[in-house]
Amino acid sequence: MVLSVSELNATIRDLLENQLHTVWVEGEISNARVWNTGHLYFTLKDGASQIKAVMFRSAVRYLKFKPEDGLKVVARGKISVYDPKGEYQILCEHMEPKGLGALQQAFEQLKKKLAAEGMFEQSRKRPLPALPRRIGLVTSIDGAALRDMIRVLRRRYPNAHLVISPTRVQGEGAGREVAHAIRKVARIEAVDVIIVARGGGSLEDLWAFNEEVLARAIVASPVPVISGVGHETDFTICDFVADLRAPTPSAAAELVVRRKDEFFAHIDRIGERLDAAMHHRLRRMEQRLHTLEARPGLGGFEGRLAVGGRHVSELAAALRQRIGQGLTRRTRRHDVLRRSLDQFDPRHRLAAVRTRLVARDGLLQAAVRRRISRAQSRMGALAARIDGLSPLAVLGRGYSVTWDASRTRIIRDASTLKSGDRVSVTLERGAFDATVDAVTADRDAVATPRRGGRQQIE
Amino acid sequence: MSDPTIKDFEAALAELETIVKRLEEGDLALEKSLELYERGVQLSRFCHSRLEEAERRIEIVNERGELTPAPASLRLPDDEDE
Repeated sequence: MVLSVSELNATIRDLLENQLHTVWVEGEISNARVWNTGHLYFTLKDGASQIKAVMFRSAVRYLKFKPEDGLKVVARGKISVYDPKGEYQILCEHMEPKGLGALQQAFEQLKKKLAAEGMFEQSRKRPLPALPRRIGLVTSIDGAALRDMIRVLRRRYPNAHLVISPTRVQGEGAGREVAHAIRKVARIEAVDVIIVARGGGSLEDLWAFNEEVLARAIVASPVPVISGVGHETDFTICDFVADLRAPTPSAAAELVVRRKDEFFAHIDRIGERLDAAMHHRLRRMEQRLHTLEARPGLGGFEGRLAVGGRHVSELAAALRQRIGQGLTRRTRRHDVLRRSLDQFDPRHRLAAVRTRLVARDGLLQAAVRRRISRAQSRMGALAARIDGLSPLAVLGRGYSVTWDASRTRIIRDASTLKSGDRVSVTLERGAFDATVDAVTADRDAVATPRRGGRQQIE
Repeated sequence: MSDPTIKDFEAALAELETIVKRLEEGDLALEKSLELYERGVQLSRFCHSRLEEAERRIEIVNERGELTPAPASLRLPDDEDE
């Protein structure tokens, strides 16, 4: 019986496709090409032989790794015959890399690819905001990770504003969902930093955090992302691309914001330095003026004397202005400071926390005590600031300023006065006008305080 | 709290530190010193209020990207006084 070619090929196809319905084959991939239809064409070979292979797009989609030339794989499929050409091939339904597990393989491949794109570069990583206005949490709504983070954040920064973007964190498509949740929370106003978190698990459990779509969402995030996935020993792609990697969700919550009392202590330290520097500055200027004035024989040159590059008279004018404006300004400042003192009044705080104290452990008590003492020292510093600021304090020590009658010139030299001149004197509280009775031009004559005290300029 | 001359907490803190350094170096004119000091006080007040300003709150982003309050189960015992 003679068969036509078609009949022969049909027979061969029936035989092969029925006999070799499902086969497992191990070999090395070569000539791998994905066509624009999404189907994958390649050759499987070993040392002596080879077979054509194809994997349709529907199956390619489920591959956890990228089939590359040279990769050893185990493939499951069936034999199919292409009648028109009399060729046969294996139609792969599933494939796994040999050696490394499929997931491990995929992990390594993606890691290599993203590293090549520079996505792990330190230079690409953004610094965290010092004080995030809102903190975005991307995680499962009912996971332990979320509860841990909330607990840590509440302890460190009790009035933190948290925005949770819930997502599935495991299973098919979870990577895409986590990516979506990141994009969603990043769009919320005032979210300045995002934590992506999940508790520990197997490589399979953590798989979503090794997906490219998630990695790209992190890189594209407009605000810095902290990765807190798994345990210390788990590393995911998410860890590598994140702006900061924390070993666990709780650790991520520790890193995202400084303890509130540390913040306060820091700012208070700077505030104290500010006060001290200003105080020192005023004190030094005062001393310089006094030193100059105390020098005998310098009276006539006074106008040309310079202090810190400025004429004494200029400095005096500045002081005068301060004295004039100081009062109104100080009153205003006083009110502001008063209000801020009230804010720091430990009694308000005490009332709020006392009710809770009973049931809480010593940690909280210690924190409250620290806070009260901080508030108290803050009150002290603010009170000192009110006093130390103004040149009026100088007048408070018993000095006064003597002006000419029009209050445009300070009298520094008694010889410019004569009996009967009108002068005006500024004291710590108030001022008065006076008439000159007698003038003693010789300075030495008043070196020792006389009855009624020495009239001193500035 | 909005002061157009202060960008944010970080900027305020950085500026405050610069001011303190300049004042501590000490060779500024008195007027300038006073001006810097006043700015410094303003900045430190801003930082303080920023620290107290954040609202103690937990919210959830829903499917439409809107904020909704978190379920009671997510709040700690402490949060009852919110």
